[in-house]
Amino acid sequence: LAARLSSDPSLRDRAIVQGALRAGLFASFALLVAGMVVASFEHASAGPVSLAALFGRVPLGSRLMGFGILVLGLTPVVRVMLLVLLWVREHDYRHAAIAGVVLVILIASVVLGHPA
Amino acid sequence: MDAMIGREVILAGIGVAAGVLGALVGIGGGIIVVPCLVLLFGVSIRVAVATSLIAVVATSTAAGSVYVGSGTANMRLGMTLEVATTLGGITGGLIAAWIAPTVLAGVFGVMMGITAALMFRGREGHAVASSSEVGARAGWEDSVHLGGGYVDERGALVAYRAERVPIGLAISLLAGVLSGMLGVGGGFLKVPAMVLGMRVPFKVAAATSNFMIGVTAASSLFVYFARGDVHPAIAAPIAVGISLGALLGTMLAHRMAPAALRRILAIILLLVGMQMVLKSFGVELGR
Repeated sequence: LAARLSSDPSLRDRAIVQGALRAGLFASFALLVAGMVVASFEHASAGPVSLAALFGRVPLGSRLMGFGILVLGLTPVVRVMLLVLLWVREHDYRHAAIAGVVLVILIASVVLGHPA
Repeated sequence: MDAMIGREVILAGIGVAAGVLGALVGIGGGIIVVPCLVLLFGVSIRVAVATSLIAVVATSTAAGSVYVGSGTANMRLGMTLEVATTLGGITGGLIAAWIAPTVLAGVFGVMMGITAALMFRGREGHAVASSSEVGARAGWEDSVHLGGGYVDERGALVAYRAERVPIGLAISLLAGVLSGMLGVGGGFLKVPAMVLGMRVPFKVAAATSNFMIGVTAASSLFVYFARGDVHPAIAAPIAVGISLGALLGTMLAHRMAPAALRRILAIILLLVGMQMVLKSFGVELGR
């Protein structure tokens, strides 16, 4: 399989992107479940949490769940970054540029999308 | 504590249902999550939308991990359409203030009804690839014609290519504008853009949509997260349920005939279209 993957860029790309998606999914799943278990033993019922508050004083359960959501939210960013790199390596510059535009729009909308 | 666990089980159940449906037809599941949260749990619309965005990213990541590995999702096609949809979404957000939303919702609702009818009646017309066909194998992507090969429910290798790419891009752009103006999700618009506009097989369109919707949703999610609208105790059980549901949905989708999946999407389109028409008459149902 390794020889086949290295000889076929499409299949190799797929294995790499799939690995990144699975890693993000499993990591966030573990954090979310751990947070839910911890939160069920906490007395205070926590409300909504902001991204900045995750790094401040919030109950451990909410914090674990919040980091799980953060990891989940970062996987789409990672997948587009990976596609840019993989397609550049394959000399498919047209699609690398397209994925690059998607990445720029994604980052710009996060940066410019200031809280209303 | 018992009440809390009871609530978490219901939320996870909603997640499983949304995940299965999302993975079957290429949508994020927001159309299930938002009304359930608003109507059953009395959650504010901003928290409901933030939770829905988390649900979309979870569906996209779980279903995407399977569809990318199986070769059903076409990543080049997905990224190409993503440019059109996101640019459309930004344009829609900017011009939303200039057009009456009630008029827009009515037009959009009628358009979705027509799309539903086309989806319901249409059928797949793709040849099974012959073994001699150059490059045709599962998971292969044609970088020139945005085509590829995937294995269908009978285990046959199907080769396809996206036809009429400019039409597909134009529909995706329009879908992006409308979703930006009306605040509706993109998945149920992207699948018809690929199937009807570009004549891509339904399963490839659904898998590709699943792969890309997470990218669109993530950008909005960070805005809601920064603003403090993410409620971990509500979002966590939904995300856990939806991840499991989406994995289950990919297994079902692999076995189901495309015609059945098309009909499921047609019904969803019809329901959302009716909701839009009602909205244009001032009747608000959830969102």
